[in-house]
Amino acid sequence: MSLFDKYAPLQKRIDVMNKIGRDALGVQFDDIIDATRGRIGNREILLAGTNNYLGLTFDADCMAAAKQAVDDHGTGTTGSRVANGSYREHVDLEVALADHLGMPSCIVFTTGYQTNLAAISGLAGDKDVIFMDADAHACIIDGTRLTNASTIRFRHNSPEDLDKRLRRQGKIEGGHALVVIEGMYSMFGDIAPIDEFIDVTHRHGGYLYIDEAHSYGVFGPTGCGIAEEQGVLDKVDFISGTFSKSLASVGGFCASRHREFDVTRKVMRPYMFTASATPANICAARVAVDKIKAGGHLRDNLKARAQQLHKGLSDLGYDLCAEPSPVIAARRPNEAICAMEWNWLLDNGLYVNLAVPPGTPQSSSLLRISLSAAHSEADVNEIIAKFAELKGLEGQLMEDMMGKLAG
Amino acid sequence: MASNNDIYSKVCELLKPYNPESRPISRQSGIVSDLEVDSVAVFDLVMGLEDHYDVSIPMEMVTDIKTVGELVNAIQQLTSE
Repeated sequence: MSLFDKYAPLQKRIDVMNKIGRDALGVQFDDIIDATRGRIGNREILLAGTNNYLGLTFDADCMAAAKQAVDDHGTGTTGSRVANGSYREHVDLEVALADHLGMPSCIVFTTGYQTNLAAISGLAGDKDVIFMDADAHACIIDGTRLTNASTIRFRHNSPEDLDKRLRRQGKIEGGHALVVIEGMYSMFGDIAPIDEFIDVTHRHGGYLYIDEAHSYGVFGPTGCGIAEEQGVLDKVDFISGTFSKSLASVGGFCASRHREFDVTRKVMRPYMFTASATPANICAARVAVDKIKAGGHLRDNLKARAQQLHKGLSDLGYDLCAEPSPVIAARRPNEAICAMEWNWLLDNGLYVNLAVPPGTPQSSSLLRISLSAAHSEADVNEIIAKFAELKGLEGQLMEDMMGKLAG
Repeated sequence: MASNNDIYSKVCELLKPYNPESRPISRQSGIVSDLEVDSVAVFDLVMGLEDHYDVSIPMEMVTDIKTVGELVNAIQQLTSE
């Protein structure tokens, strides 16, 4: 018996993937040329799976701010904000995000993953009960595991089901309900009815926490996210987000309408015991906040591209998981076919995400596309054309795959 | 109140869609290790059981449950409380 024997079923899946083609979870790009183009070997790749929703990673002002930050403050912070202190820019960014969201309190974290890990574990105590949407991201699940609070899952995007489970739980002695949902869900691109969740949560005396990682910058008149889009931002208790999507950097934030949220800085282990975000990351994100506030034109283009792609793939007969949004996922019959198609797309110059269980809802195998405001109409036509070609090759690809699997 | 055997039958019935290869199920079967039900699917299965028996089965309790028999016993305990 070896320590690794437990991974035998996983290794079997990996072996099948490798027989079919590349390791989809280990792609290496030789160059990232701009927000929508990369290079593998001599082939230029159209990037349609990077969550670079506003395309700001190559924005001249964001890049200049990152370069200036290195010149001014060096490359790294070498420790946590608790141990080494905060840089002025960490605090400035917190103030800017709080101001954008119209909330009195905001804390910045080193990655998006750590944001939910830290904030959820800081907010939920032993006697509180967390109610979590069934399709919540891994970092929310892991955040609940860092607490001693009980965690109950409710059916995806169903305020009625949440209401039922809150009623079933009854009075929470000495604690509160913390309801955790997302604005736009990362795999299917579907959107939460936040107004209804606010109503149910507050009726039961609970607090609503929304992860807007995929929706901050993308939705709402000023880019605050789905809660702003639905006109209920001022009623949400906590909004978290990441810098690694619309904000074109690495890091994350959690803001609250409760000023007392600030006290959690002294208890959140993923905040206290990790190095703070680098000056370059913080300064790029700070400029990106202003770009987002004034980014109505970027959101308009992103919306138009989403509608264009959704219609194009629907017309081809692809089974899409949700209404048009910057995330468009096509459901495929199984993991092997999905992997084979994903390989063909990459071999033909298009990068999308291969998404498979347990990282997907309903054990789905998906070809997942994330669009960018930097994509042009011609780019999206190219994506549609590749998917059209793929559709025509189904029989031949299946035959090739069977040959590879038999070999 | 449902008997242990009734609950076992219900668990086996609800496990079916998550066991496409129809592996034999017993009380000793490891839900993840033997039946290879993925971690998210286990939680989906539990949501169905919560609704059927009108009980709350918190995720931290599910994490500690490894076998079909342990799941059955946990539900029996919750329904008898």
